[in-house]
Amino acid sequence: MFRLLEESGFKQVRSVVVPRFKFRKPATQNAAESFGVKAVLFTATRPATT
Amino acid sequence: MTATIEAQESLEATLKDEILRMYQDVADHPEGEFHFFHGREAAELFDYDRAWLDRAPAGAVASFAGVGNPHLRSAIQPGETVLDLGSGAGLDAIIASLAAGPSGKVIGVDLNPTMCAKVEAHAAASGSQVECREGRMEEIPVSDSVVDVAISNGVINLSFRKRKVIEELFRVLKPGGRLSITDIVSAKQLSQSVVNDPKLWAS
Repeated sequence: MFRLLEESGFKQVRSVVVPRFKFRKPATQNAAESFGVKAVLFTATRPATT
Repeated sequence: MTATIEAQESLEATLKDEILRMYQDVADHPEGEFHFFHGREAAELFDYDRAWLDRAPAGAVASFAGVGNPHLRSAIQPGETVLDLGSGAGLDAIIASLAAGPSGKVIGVDLNPTMCAKVEAHAAASGSQVECREGRMEEIPVSDSVVDVAISNGVINLSFRKRKVIEELFRVLKPGGRLSITDIVSAKQLSQSVVNDPKLWAS
């Protein structure tokens, strides 16, 4: 997602992991962790001049 | 049309149905148990301002199914035009409307017309205004360069065409406009069995 934002022309792309995100069911959470799944907050700006 | 494209379109159509079913289920039965946290429990987990949650209609709070809090960085100012991509039952759009004030404008976009009706009703109940447009995130039904702030919460990961979604967000934002989105990402390539399973993908 970070790369997609940059490649689409966005600037000042920032990301931070959502610290308390998790799935309710342990089996789902375990599967998600095995794939490195996490929730992330992205911010970016469309340049004032493009 | 190649077999690959046909297969992709078939999978996208099935996925659309599964997404509609799952999030309609959360909205209609917020008392249910889902594999993700939802409702006020989830919103408090993600540090939503309790004053906002108290002010928003109970139905919008109970049906919240986000994966984070885009408002932590949205910095919406009075008078701004905000797009909530995948507005669902409307909690994020309503909070945006409260922040943008009566001189601002909030446009929700959702795949599901029932959810659009719901968000508008929830917004009216909270004394705020949200205009919801039925549409796909790959073809956002908003004109070029009219949005000051775009928010989204746990929606873009559901698309097979994420690059197109991001390009659409760029198109609708004004020059100098900004986005604040929370979403699910995976550090590893998902297996084909996961990609081909609409229930897992919609999760």
